[in-house]
Amino acid sequence: MTATLLDGIVQGLQLSLLAVGITLIFGLGGVLNLAHGQFAVVGGVAAKLLLNLGVHPVLAGIGGVIGAGLFGLLVDRSLLLPAYRYRGEERLLLGLILTLGLSFVIDGYLNYAFSEFSLTLLLPIPLVQIAGIPMRTAGLTTSAIALVVFLALFVFLRWTLLGKTIRSIIENEVGAELCGIDPARTRTIIVGLAAMMAGLAGIAQGLFSSLGTEMGPEFTILGLLVAVVGGVRSLNGTLVAGVFLGIVNAFASRYIGAYVAFIILLSVAMATILLRPTGLLARFT
Amino acid sequence: MSNRPVSSRYTDVVALVILLALVPAIAAHTPYYLRIATLAVVYMGWTVGFNLIFGHTKQLFLCLGALAGSAAYVTAVLSQQLQLSPWITIPIGVAAATGLGVLFSYVSVLRGLGVIFLGIVTLAFSLIFQNMVLGLRQFTNGETGLVTRDLGFPLLDHPVAAYYLFIAVLALALLVYCFVMDSRMGFAFRALSDDELTAELSGIDVTACKIVAAALGSTVFGLFGTLYGLYNGIVSPSLFSFVNVDIPVLISLLLGGMRTRLGPIVGAALFAVIEEFVRPFGQLSVLVYGVLLIVLFVAFREGLVVMLRKAFGFSQFRELFRSSG
Repeated sequence: MTATLLDGIVQGLQLSLLAVGITLIFGLGGVLNLAHGQFAVVGGVAAKLLLNLGVHPVLAGIGGVIGAGLFGLLVDRSLLLPAYRYRGEERLLLGLILTLGLSFVIDGYLNYAFSEFSLTLLLPIPLVQIAGIPMRTAGLTTSAIALVVFLALFVFLRWTLLGKTIRSIIENEVGAELCGIDPARTRTIIVGLAAMMAGLAGIAQGLFSSLGTEMGPEFTILGLLVAVVGGVRSLNGTLVAGVFLGIVNAFASRYIGAYVAFIILLSVAMATILLRPTGLLARFT
Repeated sequence: MSNRPVSSRYTDVVALVILLALVPAIAAHTPYYLRIATLAVVYMGWTVGFNLIFGHTKQLFLCLGALAGSAAYVTAVLSQQLQLSPWITIPIGVAAATGLGVLFSYVSVLRGLGVIFLGIVTLAFSLIFQNMVLGLRQFTNGETGLVTRDLGFPLLDHPVAAYYLFIAVLALALLVYCFVMDSRMGFAFRALSDDELTAELSGIDVTACKIVAAALGSTVFGLFGTLYGLYNGIVSPSLFSFVNVDIPVLISLLLGGMRTRLGPIVGAALFAVIEEFVRPFGQLSVLVYGVLLIVLFVAFREGLVVMLRKAFGFSQFRELFRSSG
């Protein structure tokens, strides 16, 4: 019981890590990133390439995260520029299609160029006992990293000037611009940051089991689900939604079976959106 | 617009349907091209339906494949299990799709869901539908799918006749679309696609409009889904998957032009051409497809029909200028 709960929290944190980037990019850029799962895979591929060069696994992991971040910066400064020229619904629609196209490009290229790819990172000690419950170190490591990342993000948004600018743009882009904030520059930083978090989630998948190039769409859908259940504009909401859905999934898989578990997960997500149509913790950031 | 005689108001639609009806004259001898043309007509019909749901009333349904698929599966399973005639099972299947569409629309209005929230709720339904079809193996035969060869009308087994049947259904859908858009409801649709709150304040029943649009659109999805399933000979989950229905229909609508009469037709036709163009690239086809998508959308952001209309209007203006000068 406790083991399942902990397992769910670990899975949930990984989901939150994946979804927080979608929340940030949507909140700040008004673009729903449909290539977010592909960013995660890009991070994994970069880490694998570094590993193949003989780089130490920890450094390779960091390199992968940075690689994903650079890729995010590139996408923001090139592909998304046409979308940023518009506001509101038009930007959302154009962004939707552009990122969908990007996801096809990434999937198509990676599946072609790295058809045999799989990233598996093994930690030196696979299991540890915590309060008598055997826990996988992979899960603990990921959770620790995710918690640190979330903490850092909250501190950053709450107490730094850049963080405050970011929150002001999320609140009202035109208003922020009138106060002398440059939304474009801030947006680029955030897209890079969001891509780095996606890359981290991808590498975490490599720690858990293995990451393949075909997992992009699945990641995107899971990330979207978590971000929207959390309210798509609230970071706290995303964190809570990820952990909540992770726990639901762990219990459903443990007691009912993997096939029905996915249906239950989706139904719970649907029900949550219908019960709290503006997000799990509406207006709380 | 509405005081022009009916005959000249719809010349573009009539001309297009006639043009589509001439396709078998060229393609009838190569079954492959005839099949592509038939599929394109199915996607045109779906895009007309999606134009009503998303274009005019801004309801982002991402369960289009699931709507079409539920109609096809209800029809196929009922026909197979109870040996009923298609005249009974097809209406039941279509009604299932209509019911689902109305349900989503009603729930979203009731709970005040935003565009993205409705999108994700319906996307979750899409995935549930796919998993249910795979799970209820005893009825649906799982991934392999149900053979529908002898369940439908014998007409559907003849390629050219089937093509004309789909054209007839498409013409019917367009007729209903034109009729609705010229009625009071059509004015209400235009008003609420501009600004929902203003529309509501000026006395338009936005809830009713949205539900009617969703009902009509879902009916189109159900009808084409059922007929497509019967025509295809096999109803399988991949036939109605998110990638095979929702994404092409969304792209076709945006490519052709939202809230236009001919946009869905032009967009779906162009999409069929793109698919054929991309096919020879084999393993790299997904990559090429993505690049094309990005380039086309950056170039024709407002949709092809709007772009053409502007270009046409511009040249008319230039002729006027030339004759006076």
